[in-house]
Amino acid sequence: MQHPHLSRRAFLKGSVAAGIGITIAPLGSRAFAALFESRVTATPEPWASPGGARFRIDAFSKVCGGKVFARDIRARDMPGWPRQQGHAMLLKANRADHAYQGFELSSLDESLHPDRIVTAADLERDGIAFPDSHGPDPLLPQGKTPLYIGHPVAILIWHDFARYRAAKNALKFRDDLIRYGAATGEVERPPYGSFRYVRVGGDTPFAPDEFSSLKDSDLFPAIKNRRPVWPDDPSLNGDVGERGLYHAQRMAEQLEQPPENWEVFQARYTTPYIEPGALEPDNGNGWFDADSGELHFVVATQCPQEAARETALMLEGSRFAVRHLNVHPGYTVGYGSKDHNIFVYYAALAAMYGDGHPIRLANDRFEQFQSGIKRHPFDMDYRLAVDRDSLKFQIFRAHLDVNGGGRANYSASVAAVGATAAQSVYYLPRSDLATTAYPSRAVEAGSMRGYGTLQTMAATEMMVDELAERLGVDPFALRRANLLEAGMKNTQGAIPGGAIRVGEILDKAERHPLWQERHERRDARQAEDPDHLYGTGFAISQKDFGTGAEAPMASVEIDAAGRIRLRQIAIDMGTGAATSQAMNVLEVLGRPADDIKTGETDWSELALETSGNPYTMSQDEQDRLSQTPRWTPRLASPSSASNSAYYASHATREAARLVFRHGLWPAALSIWRQGIYGGQANPYVIRLEDARWVEGHLTANGMTPLSLATLAAKAHELGLITGASVHAFNRWSWASAEFALGEERSRLPLDAVAVKYGDGADDDKRRLMSSHGYHLLDRQAMRYPDVQLNNAHVTYYSPVATLVDLRVSKGSGEVEILEHYSWVECGKPIVSELVMGQLEGGVAMGIGHALLEHMPLYEDGPGNGSWNFNRYQVPLARHCAVWKQGGEILPPLSETDPAKGMGEVVMIPVVGAIVNALAHATGQRFRDLPVTPERIQEALHG
Amino acid sequence: MRRLLLGALLLAPTLAVQAADDETLIEQGRYLARAADCAACHTAEGGAPFAGGRPIESPFGTIYGTNITPDPQHGIGDYSRDDFYHALTEGETPSGRQLYPAMPYTSYHLMRREDSDAIYAYLNSLEPIARSAPETRLSFPYNQRWGVALWNLVYADALQPEDAASHSPAWQRGQYLVEAMGHCGECHTPRGWTGAMDLDHHLEGGMLAGYLAPSLKAEALAERGWTRDDLARFLRDGMSPQGSMFNEMFPVMHLSTQHLEDDDLAAMATYLLGDSPPEARRIDAHPLEELGDSARRGRQGYLDTCAGCHGIEGQGKPQVAVAMEGNTTLRLEAPDNLLKVMLNGIAAQDFPGFARMQEMPGFASKLSDAELADLSNYLRETWGGRAGDVSPEDVAALREESGHATP
Amino acid sequence: MAELPTRSLSLTINGEAIGPVDVPEDLMMIDFLHEYQGLTGSRLGCGQGICRACVVILDHDDGTSEEMRICITGAHFFNGKRIRTIEGHAERDAAGDIVALNPIQQKFIDHFAFQCSYCAPGFVNAATVLVERLQRDPLAAGELEGAIEQALGEHICRCTGYVRYYQATRAVIEELGLAKEG
Repeated sequence: MQHPHLSRRAFLKGSVAAGIGITIAPLGSRAFAALFESRVTATPEPWASPGGARFRIDAFSKVCGGKVFARDIRARDMPGWPRQQGHAMLLKANRADHAYQGFELSSLDESLHPDRIVTAADLERDGIAFPDSHGPDPLLPQGKTPLYIGHPVAILIWHDFARYRAAKNALKFRDDLIRYGAATGEVERPPYGSFRYVRVGGDTPFAPDEFSSLKDSDLFPAIKNRRPVWPDDPSLNGDVGERGLYHAQRMAEQLEQPPENWEVFQARYTTPYIEPGALEPDNGNGWFDADSGELHFVVATQCPQEAARETALMLEGSRFAVRHLNVHPGYTVGYGSKDHNIFVYYAALAAMYGDGHPIRLANDRFEQFQSGIKRHPFDMDYRLAVDRDSLKFQIFRAHLDVNGGGRANYSASVAAVGATAAQSVYYLPRSDLATTAYPSRAVEAGSMRGYGTLQTMAATEMMVDELAERLGVDPFALRRANLLEAGMKNTQGAIPGGAIRVGEILDKAERHPLWQERHERRDARQAEDPDHLYGTGFAISQKDFGTGAEAPMASVEIDAAGRIRLRQIAIDMGTGAATSQAMNVLEVLGRPADDIKTGETDWSELALETSGNPYTMSQDEQDRLSQTPRWTPRLASPSSASNSAYYASHATREAARLVFRHGLWPAALSIWRQGIYGGQANPYVIRLEDARWVEGHLTANGMTPLSLATLAAKAHELGLITGASVHAFNRWSWASAEFALGEERSRLPLDAVAVKYGDGADDDKRRLMSSHGYHLLDRQAMRYPDVQLNNAHVTYYSPVATLVDLRVSKGSGEVEILEHYSWVECGKPIVSELVMGQLEGGVAMGIGHALLEHMPLYEDGPGNGSWNFNRYQVPLARHCAVWKQGGEILPPLSETDPAKGMGEVVMIPVVGAIVNALAHATGQRFRDLPVTPERIQEALHG
Repeated sequence: MRRLLLGALLLAPTLAVQAADDETLIEQGRYLARAADCAACHTAEGGAPFAGGRPIESPFGTIYGTNITPDPQHGIGDYSRDDFYHALTEGETPSGRQLYPAMPYTSYHLMRREDSDAIYAYLNSLEPIARSAPETRLSFPYNQRWGVALWNLVYADALQPEDAASHSPAWQRGQYLVEAMGHCGECHTPRGWTGAMDLDHHLEGGMLAGYLAPSLKAEALAERGWTRDDLARFLRDGMSPQGSMFNEMFPVMHLSTQHLEDDDLAAMATYLLGDSPPEARRIDAHPLEELGDSARRGRQGYLDTCAGCHGIEGQGKPQVAVAMEGNTTLRLEAPDNLLKVMLNGIAAQDFPGFARMQEMPGFASKLSDAELADLSNYLRETWGGRAGDVSPEDVAALREESGHATP
Repeated sequence: MAELPTRSLSLTINGEAIGPVDVPEDLMMIDFLHEYQGLTGSRLGCGQGICRACVVILDHDDGTSEEMRICITGAHFFNGKRIRTIEGHAERDAAGDIVALNPIQQKFIDHFAFQCSYCAPGFVNAATVLVERLQRDPLAAGELEGAIEQALGEHICRCTGYVRYYQATRAVIEELGLAKEG
């Protein structure tokens, strides 16, 4: 098969969006301030001080109902839109084994019939080019079999709310609206992606690999009869694929006939089909103004750039003659489910067919279950060989089948990321990880918190715990014997970034009373309470953050009064990105940003262009393209993959540093040197590295502390750099280039920089500010990370460990979490409260994954439109040991540690810890998640 | 009489497998213990299986299910097979103590010896739990040994099921499951002042924890819309087009009927509705214009407080709330069950598989007597085929009985 | 355009008299607030009375108040009644800018209680109802956690682990002296 788009979020292509101009203006932006009673980040008292954040930057609006989600927007809120809001719904087929033969709305009162019905025939006739990456058949044509349960067949549109509501009520839950023809069986299709990662390490973990993805290549199968097929007779003399397979076969043989002193563990693990359950269901609201050819579109998305570009491409060349697209991304929440989401395009289409009316397509919760992106169920066959004497792992073989559901979303990438994460915190001298994402008739699965790693790493921790029991060794001892330490290679042959502090966490966890006293506590409680079984379990994981093609952008500007304005491309998905980005400025500029605009997408000052695919381009292609001075491998990345703390912060901090280094610092020197003989500075030696902010004032080497306002005024007066706009690119390593800043030439970890000079800048400098008010610098000696680093698949890790104490009802099989405690290492946290909040929320979501949440995949599953939170149990407070939980953030090694992403890893160890605690309580190993009361009853009582 | 009965029942197919090996016997016992719904009283909420402790409210006080795990001191570890059979069918322990008649030995006395032995084998395979159930506290005279003895005198050997001989094998098996194992009559038969079943009105409906356990007679079931298929489905799934189980019937499904074989459930339905069942009555919804004043007033109340879950046209919502159209509770002659549900609500319920019913809130604190009367008249007239004759006073009486204040 | 049966509705929202206005007789209250009043702070989460993102406070004449799930309660249920929504708690100046939050709102932000905040209106309203109840009728300190569990236990939050909501609510009640020691 073709070299696939295999890395995370590899599916974004191209950059120039059609002939349709695009403007993206977030709803929180100033242009819209007048719309809302109070701006989202306006607070009556300061939200932060030099001491830290007192509350979220957007806390006031959130707690007063003023935060505007995309869902809240109606036509009347939008300047220039007609006031009457129209509404739409999708009509869906909930059988995927018969041909679709049209629909029947005759049960609907005549007066409630839709004002407009859009079907596949309309899209065909009107030249709509639905995004390929979400195709085929956005609306199913008659005669075809639905690809999945819940496949839309029509968009129904009403021009007013009252009729829409009445009609939708009448149409809901009916199974007689769709006509079916002949039984066809499920539509059969080839896998969405299939990959294999083989590594044979050298003599030591530090020696060069014999074979690995990074050194050699990932492996790709042929596809026959919709299954991956690998060469039968691979050899060391063949091509890279054959060589890799040769090693894989050697491993397989050895696992079959292991040396005497090996224990070979084998188990199969399965994971549930999970609804992300973001409380704001998918929605969009658009108005197509045929007179001006403008489509105005409010949408809930984690990736406004992609959504805008793909919408433009979809409509280009259609009969609608769209000339301009105004996209307004609202605040939203998604846990990944609003990234690369097909819903956006249905909503845009609904607007196009609104016949002049603004049309809103907004899922209710039943519809969200029916069509929203799910977490992939994994079916995992694990084998792990360990040397009984040394306790060292020898070979790890994991073969994964991933169910991607009815539409190709990120399934291939999720399968790949899951496989490359399976090693968790362990060093594995040899490994063979094969993974295939299959289509099915289930509602599509895509990006969701954990992104495959939750599935594989939780299983790894269940395996290691069980293996320790089988070997009769302490599970901590087995873990310690196999830790991936700094400088060792991961299963792709790449060396993870920085220090690895997993051992420290293990030490802390092992000493914790929950672990130390686990047997005594269990036995004592069970003696007192014959109705329950008690147990304690532990697990640890470390997870990547980022996508291997991160492209953050930020600008920092300071006015003459010292107010700091920050623009960020990142969207705040509720986690606190706006707050933490604003706080990022504090260390460099002495106070947090006063004004922040997240989701900013107009970066015209940087004049960047892009082409090619950062994940799949050849080195030659990259070398050639990077000769173009404004080229970048990727313009923007979505807000996902736990990427704000590290990658978005990188841009914010680099921009702030430029303003400091070339604006505030020379301004300070100028003030300190005022007077004869160099003023107060003269008797001392002043060094840049000694610059310190103290209570919002800058000092160094004993100089008079200067307020930011003083410095800003001076920097402006002198025409120094008072603003910087930057773009960076990261492929498991930062791109860097040399930039001339005044007299200096510096290599910066950025690939585009534009600066602004202060009010007092002379005419020469003013003339330079010709790129939308900025002076766009010309980079030199551009270095992009080698494309081969794509095969590293991950180099950034944050570890988390969790201890869980629980009890099981002997009668009902219900599990009650009694207490839990976690450790997280995330470098230097930007705002500790936000990190702890993520941890607590992640643990809750992990509890759901381990114990509560599941649905059937197919006919009785969410695609049938009858699912809501009453059937699908998300964790409530009572499931989370809300009063009896704790956690801690490891102190950073120094204040120079980077902040690391941890939004996903926090939910992983708790899953393994729960299952391991259940083994401690019941003596049974559960390998199928969630561990429901029924499964426990089955295990306890047969 | 008793001898004759057993003779009749012997015609029914044998449920327990003779001379089965232990494993099979235990499995058989597990099934039969479910059919007999032992857990209903002997497993406390969240407690170890069969370790006792579930409180059973009776008009005479609270009776606690006993520990029937194989613990020798607190359970039945010292019971022989004979002892167990004797206790099950005669209500007397090996030590000669009389069991409270909350133990349905008046029904179980129809149980075959081999089935008792299988249950015995199953219970003895369980983990022994060394704990006594809480002490039962009854009012005078039932807290006296002689009182219990007297009580039991009234009970003894009373149930006289219909002669099975002329019926189909399914009917016969259904009779055994309904009368002996499932002891359905214990709740669905009215009781006199002694607490004993009024056997002249066997299965004609009894009061239980404030609710009517409605009549299971064939004509009454058909009148309320039941078919054999729906009834069997109701027992298995806990829900059917006629509604969903609530109150004391819900745990019966949860612990017992959902685990029974489809054939057995069909047999129970056959027994209850007869080999030639009466036709189920269909009731078409009455249009609003034809309703009485109270019911018409109730329409807006329905839209305000009910339609969000039960649907604007009473169509219900899958997995959320049952349809009003075709609902069996609306068809009961007395409005009491309906009113009590409206006053008290129903907790969220998990049904077998992935089926659910959402919590129904009680409206005692939200709606006045008049509003509830109007609402119930709307429901009963529109979908129940009943007259709209519920008065605010009727509601007030039930409100008081249920211990709710007026809003 | 179809004639859908309507009915006149008057009520008080956040102290302001609304109506009479003709709205469909089967309109749910959440749709009335969202589509007819432009008040979108009460969130539609499940639409089925489960998640409680939509709850508002219904004020009774006797000074008591209760939570109402407006996604399953008809608009006309509130005819002649008084409700408070999330938009109505904070004290505002003449320009509409927030001057002070209610104690629950303040503690929620101090504790970083919510993340995306979609569920926050429900939590604010439920905790406010609890605090107001305890102001009329304080409880023993030992009953505090149970009372919070009772008040907030059915509310769904998908971002947080509920910890900060619970701790913040406890802090408000303790600081107001509504949980008596001993």
